[in-house]
Amino acid sequence: MHGHLKYLTNALPIGCLLAAGLLLQGCLTPYESRHENQWDAREQIWMSEASQVKLRAAQSRIFDMTDRRTLLKAILSTMQDLNFQLEVLDEELGIVSGKYFAPLERPEYGYDPLYHLYDDQSLLVFSKTYLSWGPFWHRNDVVRLTVTVRPRNEKQLVVRASAQFYLRAVEDPEPYQKFFRSLEQALFLENTLAQDSQAVQPITP
Amino acid sequence: MEHKQPVWIALLLTWGLLLQACAPPQPGPDLLAPTAAQMKLRSYQSRSFEVTDPSQAMRGVVAALQDLGFIIERANEPMGLVTAARFAEPNYTDVMGITVTVRPQTEGHMMIRANAIYNNKPIEDPKVYQNFFATLERSLFISKE
Amino acid sequence: MPKTLRWAVGGTLLALLALNNGCTTPTQPAELLQLSPESPKNRAMQIRVFETPNEHELLSASAAVLQDLGLQIEESVRQMGFLRATKERSAREYGQDLNRFFMGLLSLGNFRMPVDLHQKIAAVLIARPINQDGTKHEVRIMFYRVVWQGDGQADRQYIPPGEQKMEMIRDPLIYQEFFFKLSKAVFLEAFTI
Repeated sequence: MHGHLKYLTNALPIGCLLAAGLLLQGCLTPYESRHENQWDAREQIWMSEASQVKLRAAQSRIFDMTDRRTLLKAILSTMQDLNFQLEVLDEELGIVSGKYFAPLERPEYGYDPLYHLYDDQSLLVFSKTYLSWGPFWHRNDVVRLTVTVRPRNEKQLVVRASAQFYLRAVEDPEPYQKFFRSLEQALFLENTLAQDSQAVQPITP
Repeated sequence: MEHKQPVWIALLLTWGLLLQACAPPQPGPDLLAPTAAQMKLRSYQSRSFEVTDPSQAMRGVVAALQDLGFIIERANEPMGLVTAARFAEPNYTDVMGITVTVRPQTEGHMMIRANAIYNNKPIEDPKVYQNFFATLERSLFISKE
Repeated sequence: MPKTLRWAVGGTLLALLALNNGCTTPTQPAELLQLSPESPKNRAMQIRVFETPNEHELLSASAAVLQDLGLQIEESVRQMGFLRATKERSAREYGQDLNRFFMGLLSLGNFRMPVDLHQKIAAVLIARPINQDGTKHEVRIMFYRVVWQGDGQADRQYIPPGEQKMEMIRDPLIYQEFFFKLSKAVFLEAFTI
């Protein structure tokens, strides 16, 4: 009997903790709980040096060419193949950026929002009283991809792609590998097209 | 019979008021006409600077706005237009927006005009625009060095 | 003075003070658009000077560094040397969950406090020449973040999501890291002003 009591008193704090945890969880909607929790949200501005180095390797590819224009064209067509809406294109600086919406959040109230009406390009809604969140519950659906092209040396260009998915940086190397594979194919196509157009004489009436 | 007239008038008036409450607000005839005060405001808002290069003037404007803690929203060089906004720190409940235009005037001069808005209302205090141009002068001067 | 009276007077004074605080007008318009005492400090933190005539290289390298920090380029106006990049991340915090839990307990489950859910961390960057012949350029970057709250419930009243707050990021470390990486990327020293 005594042993039983002791066991109970030992288990009590743990039980209380568990109950408190459950209660805390109980306050959350499933949508909320899909958001990563942290002690200080400002920390999100940082990325650890280790993950930066690891990511840089996965996100970059070196191309033995100097023709930036052709490479950019291939990047554009690859991104279009992947359904990205292009938003930034700067040939001189070698920047391409685009987004698309992946319907990851199921609306609870039975209608689908119209994604292409959503424009987040303006700076921000500078308001305390007017509530705006784009299409509510669907900000997580934005997938973004930025690709930059920079010269590595006189003979090579380096392409770097970085993606954001469901409020996180994509850190898995595999999606990038696939992106670069499609890019290489697009580049091959771009080159053969260029050769074809050289081979075919333009017909003038 | 005569004493009944005021009642009728009162009824009519009430009815009119009720109707008014239901009607959407109508634009006044002066909606798109500048008032005399606005015309005066315009002179506070504009200043001519001795700058030849429009690009230099634009970059000076952007630098001055950044010094003042604004976040640049749009910067369009061909149109000579910069828009920026900020919360009136440290008070995050107040919002301030500004539109600056840069236009070549006579040879070697640029006309720079600023319109500032504080919580949806235009700022009409000339002192505020003086402050802005003082900062702008400094940033144009620095960039000329 | 009896102790209770003192307390009462003190309490009233405090309450008055709090009320007064709520009523003061925040910024006098005449002081608007004036440089604040902190602006030289902010300038020094946000600006570095590079001895190069090549503005495009500075911008292109800046874009690459922003990418390194996990940001996505959202706008580029090369003619003005302007770049804006953002990243959207979760803004949930344990502290707020706890607060909500205790508020819920206190209100016997009738109040579900909205908590921060979503944030946009943004950087606005401007590169510009700072001497006549354009051999020196400065790069200025400003970081800020906007936070959106989720929904809540007070009795039967639904609190819709989307309340926002915004703050400038004034942590010098992030500016230092950015410029350290930028100077490495362009092989140039970054001078402070």
